[in-house]
Amino acid sequence: MKCEEKIPGGKLVCIDVQISGGKASAVKITGDFFLHPEEAIEKIERSLLGLSIDASESEISSKIKRSLEHQGAQLIGASPEDLARIFKKAVS
Amino acid sequence: MKWRVIPFAEYGAFMNMAIDEAVSESVAAGGPPTIRFYGWNPSAVSIGYFQSLEKEVDLHRCRFEGVDVVRRRTGGGAVYHDRSGEITYSIIGKEELFPKDILASYRLICGHIVDSLAFLGIQSEFKPINDIIVNGKKISGNAQTRRGGVLLQHGTILFSVDVDRMFSLLKVSDEKIKDKMIASVKERVTSISLQRTVSRELVLEALLGGFTKGKVFRLGELERTEFDPASKIAESRYKRDEWNSMR
Repeated sequence: MKCEEKIPGGKLVCIDVQISGGKASAVKITGDFFLHPEEAIEKIERSLLGLSIDASESEISSKIKRSLEHQGAQLIGASPEDLARIFKKAVS
Repeated sequence: MKWRVIPFAEYGAFMNMAIDEAVSESVAAGGPPTIRFYGWNPSAVSIGYFQSLEKEVDLHRCRFEGVDVVRRRTGGGAVYHDRSGEITYSIIGKEELFPKDILASYRLICGHIVDSLAFLGIQSEFKPINDIIVNGKKISGNAQTRRGGVLLQHGTILFSVDVDRMFSLLKVSDEKIKDKMIASVKERVTSISLQRTVSRELVLEALLGGFTKGKVFRLGELERTEFDPASKIAESRYKRDEWNSMR
């Protein structure tokens, strides 16, 4: 399941989620946003695995924030809240 | 701090990306901050680190036309680098030479391009996050990354633009609105040639002036200790499907 959004004043983000047993089993985030360092995307994607499709946006965004903090990574052109909203739309 | 400026030279797509990476490594190891101007021969498409190759690029068309395709290590969007239609730059230095704030550093570096265009009589402005526009139309796109204490920003300045060719190589998400989208991109993109009749040589001169304003610099070239690793990086990363089809 997939959702794509152009963030106003920001960049395009597409989140592709595969679901099995009501939980995210594969997550891919693509788009023309920026993230330093770039490799941090893999751990962000992994941090969302196992999330229930009923998870709230704040639960999703706090997972993303924690992953960014752990990695000392900086997201540009989209916020953790944007990603959480798009993730939520993708699984709804 | 004395900058090194490497004058315009053409390379293939894989080598161009590998040189930017090799120079970043030499800067990390204490080498001089570097400004490099370059072109793409053959013409090429580059995509941002996070983009889906399959979704963004018509690979069959590119192969048929002899257009190379490479994934950058920077984020941002897909770009068609026409051999004669654009000029690319990279600026690479220790992070402390630039503002810590990412947007402020884009503003500073894009400001060099705004100054260069002003020298050619073209009024432009920085449009956050990473574009430069002339009368609301995009003339330059830029992408930055930082790692190991080194900032790398590369970007492209459109000299002349062929939107139809661009969209024969890049994919549009919805084919049904392709014509409409091309028409709207034509409205939103411009080039130096559409603004002023100037030679490429003059544009390069203006860019040299804009990028070096207020800097102590020397004209230099790639060191052997950069070129040889770059050749290896081109082979081990940028030419490989594992890298280019990563997303």
